[in-house]
This record gives sequence, structure tokens and C-alpha cells, in this order.
Amino acid sequence: MSKGFCLLAQNNQETDYVRQAYALALSLHKFNKNQKISLITNDIVPEEWKEAFDQIISIPWNDNAKESEWKIENRWKIYHASPYEETIVLEADMLITSDITHWWKELKKYNLFFVSNVRTYRDEIVTSRFYRQTFDANELPNLYSALHYFKKGNTAKEFYTLLEIVVNNWELFYSKYAKEKYQKWCSIDLCVAIVCKILGNEKEITNPNSYITFAHMKPQCQNWSNLPEKWTSVLGKYLRKDGTLLLGNYVQSRVLHYVEDEFLTDEIIEKLKNGK
Amino acid sequence: MSKGVVLFAQNNHTIDYIKQAIFCAKKIKKHLQLPVALITDNEDYLEKTYPYYSKYIEHVISIPWKECKQKRTFQDGAMSNRNLEWRNHDRSTVYDLTPFEETLVMDTDFIIGNNLLANAFKTQDDFLIYKTVTDLNYKRPDAEKFNSISDRSVDMFWATVFYFKKTEKMKVFFDLVEHIKSNWLYYRLVYQIPEVTYRNDFSFSIAIHIFNGHQRNPWPGILPGKLWFTTDSDILIKMDNEDYTFLLDKRNWKGHYNVGSIKDANVHIMNKFSLDRAISEVLENE
Repeated sequence: MSKGFCLLAQNNQETDYVRQAYALALSLHKFNKNQKISLITNDIVPEEWKEAFDQIISIPWNDNAKESEWKIENRWKIYHASPYEETIVLEADMLITSDITHWWKELKKYNLFFVSNVRTYRDEIVTSRFYRQTFDANELPNLYSALHYFKKGNTAKEFYTLLEIVVNNWELFYSKYAKEKYQKWCSIDLCVAIVCKILGNEKEITNPNSYITFAHMKPQCQNWSNLPEKWTSVLGKYLRKDGTLLLGNYVQSRVLHYVEDEFLTDEIIEKLKNGK
Repeated sequence: MSKGVVLFAQNNHTIDYIKQAIFCAKKIKKHLQLPVALITDNEDYLEKTYPYYSKYIEHVISIPWKECKQKRTFQDGAMSNRNLEWRNHDRSTVYDLTPFEETLVMDTDFIIGNNLLANAFKTQDDFLIYKTVTDLNYKRPDAEKFNSISDRSVDMFWATVFYFKKTEKMKVFFDLVEHIKSNWLYYRLVYQIPEVTYRNDFSFSIAIHIFNGHQRNPWPGILPGKLWFTTDSDILIKMDNEDYTFLLDKRNWKGHYNVGSIKDANVHIMNKFSLDRAISEVLENE
């Protein structure tokens, strides 16, 4: 069965997500040999970045996120756009910091897998519920779509078909399944949680004890007493010549969901490029 | 393999750590039945002031007196404090100075109240230390601040008491602690420590972190039992054998205290002044 990574990137006025996806692809190649990576985008990809990807795929059908800043309206299309039978989906603002090729063997046991526990940069389990208040208030499964896996087949297709409906009608579904602590914006994690709740398949699509997870760098997740607005303004980062990344003196070996674009300096991209 | 306990005692102008060490050794004899070595920069004072010391201390190891520029505030309860020299720079030399192959090192204000730490000598581990502490004042709200050496930095380990075997690995470890101490200003910045004063807890924690490849690891092992502590804002008011009674600081009501007591426990008593007063009573009849 063909296996590969899919990254969806749509630039907005503030952030060059294609650049982030390029850095992610470089980091994947650096630590994981012979992996296939496809970029799904309608944006222009500079010629020198193209070699990091096996395929550059246009967003299927029309662009549902044309008017949106956060551009999550096309996420459900990844299932349809992926050229692989088994796909690991990563959000563009992530970096790979170690060899994760063994994940394929573990993920093969699932038709669909979402991360449901995430880590701090110190590798502590994130216990803060600050960003998950709507999930808790409405008893929704604690899923993270930033890193997930699907195997093409009926289970995943059914899930993504329903996800399309929920994303396109998010206000209606929120009013039924997420009316407590109501979020006034469409969030893909919340939509995924609603789909999971409707299908009642939480036990089949996640495992909170799984080693397949990522370090989530939103400041409230870090078990800090004094909260900065941005983690990048308070935490030292060091990238060794061999590509080892340290945040706050901790070697990062998990997938890093860095969230803040300013983290991704040209220096980091250069070092990743040289290590390919 | 020879086994024993090492204590460091370096007096400043006000606090008599040597007196604390004799009391600490007395408790070690009672509960752990182990030989004690005292490392001090004032052997004369020991011999002249406490001629009976050899009942409790088998080895006295002299180190040169050095001028100390580091000061810190020592409180005697919430309402009284003094700014005094803090001589804590020699802990990293214990590898070379200990006369034992297996050594338990402890602060002189860490008072043994049971025999749990004797189990440290029964393990295969080369290094055991405490990672968590238990505040006797359960109402103190900020216990989690002790999880790491600063809000954003690495895990905290407590150099108050630790056990080590004399191995090559531990030699490298203590050399690393010495290196961190010698370059404290640099490491303080890199590890985001707001406090200026050098603390053994910090240098040990940083050395452990580096030794573990800048990651969390199960090394070193954890010492048996609990490390109870009271801060110098609390006041030890009664010591009856292994039964200690404290006035525990009500943090948001300055000068007011709750009464708390603990029995048969190993307690780090950070209020040196109240500890000194209690020890004076105990050592009166020596």
C-alpha cells in the first residue's frame, strides 16, 4: 500500500504557510529517509522548494476558504486529495525532530487515528484545559487534528464526508453539539470532535496513551505560572549543527507544533536544507 | 564497601553549622547507625567548643577557610531576618573528600527521624536524590513552583540530601557540577534562573539535565522516603525526641501562624535560628 504525508497550505495576508510546509518537508526528509510528501495548495510554490515534495496537488473543487483568514474550510478535502492509500496529515506549522518511520507500523492498526494527548516542550503531558473548554463543557472527545492518520476505505470516507457537512454548517452543528462555551468561529478540531461524537467511534480512532503525539507550543499548554503572550519571546531555542533542536534547554524529539510563525527563521530553514 | 554519611559545616558570623552538624550526626547515629564524616573549615572551633563531638563524628576533614562574598537573607519566622554569608560552594568536592565508597550527603539542617534512608545503601543505583519535596505547611499555595528550577526551566532536584557510589560516572558528574558552579553567571542565564545566588539545588539539577542528554530520564534514582520541609518563615518551637512542633507561616497574614507538628520524619528545617535554639536545649547535657 502506498504511504505518504499530506500537508495542506494556504497562505493568508500574515503567514506564508507554503514556506512552513516547505520547512516541515525538509525536516521530514532530514530525519526520515525515503518518505513521500505531498503538498496540497493553490498558492505559488517557488521552484527551489518544489523538490522537497513528491507531488504538489491543487485543492480539489473550488476554494471554500477564499474569504477566510484562518483557511480551515478546505481541510476535509485532504482525504479526497491524498494520492496515498495510507496518509499522515500534518499541519504546516510543525517540524519533525526525529525518525518517526516506525509510526507507520503502529498506525496500520487503525483506519483513522487522531492524537488525543499532547505534550509540553519539557515532554510533560499537557493538563491545561484552557483551549479545550468547549470540548469539556459539551463532553466532546479531546481530539487534535494537527496530526492524524487515515487509511482509504469506508471508515475514513464516512468520517470525512460527515466532516465536510459539519465544516460547511458549523454554526448549526455547534448549536446542537457545542452550545456550551460557544465558539464563534469554525475550528477544525471542534468539527472533528463533533463528527466523532455523532459516529460514536472515539475508541476506534484514538488512544490517549499512544506514543504518537506532538509537542503543542501554545503558551497556556506549557505548565507555566507566568504566561507570556508568545512562547517565542521567552524561551531560548538552539539548533545544533546536526539538526537537534533544543527549546528551553530540552532536546525536542516529538513532532513540534510551533504555532508561532516567528519561530521559523531563515536560519532554521537553511540548517534543515543543508541536512537534507 | 565502606558506607557513611558526610556533612558539610562552614560557619558564618551568626549561624553555627558545626553545632547543627553534631546534632544531625547524633540523629544519624540513632536512626541509621552509620559512621559520620564532617567536612569543615574550622576544626579548631569544633574541638574547643564541642569536645564531645567524637561520640557522633568519626572523621573530621579540614578544608581551607575561604572568604565568602555570597550573601542571602535568612529569616527567623515571618517577621525577622538577617542578611548573612552563605557558604555553600564546596558540595561538589564531596567526591574527592568523602572517606567512604558509598556516601549519603546531607545538609546539617536536615534532621533524620527514621531509618528509611538506610535503604539507599541497598540499591544498585550509583546516585539517588529527591525530586519532590513535601511542605509541612500544606496551606502554602505555591508548592508546584518547586517542580522546576524556574518557571520555564528544567526539573528541580534537591541537593539537601543525596546518595552516591564512588564510580567513574559520578566523578564526571561532580566535575560537571564544579564546572557549572565555576561558570554560574553563564549557566544562570542559559537556564533562565532569576535568582543571583548560587544554589547547589540548581547546579545539581542542571548537571542532571545535561547528563541525561538534555532530556527527561529515569536517572538518577529517587531516595527512599519523603523530604519534608519547613521554610525559614516557619518557626520550630518544640523538639521532643522525634516529635517536632512548628509555627507555620500564614503567608497572607504576616506575623500570624498555624501550629503544625510532625513525628518520626526526615525534615529539612530551614529556619536556622529556631533550629539552633532547639538544638541548644538538646545538647545542654552533653
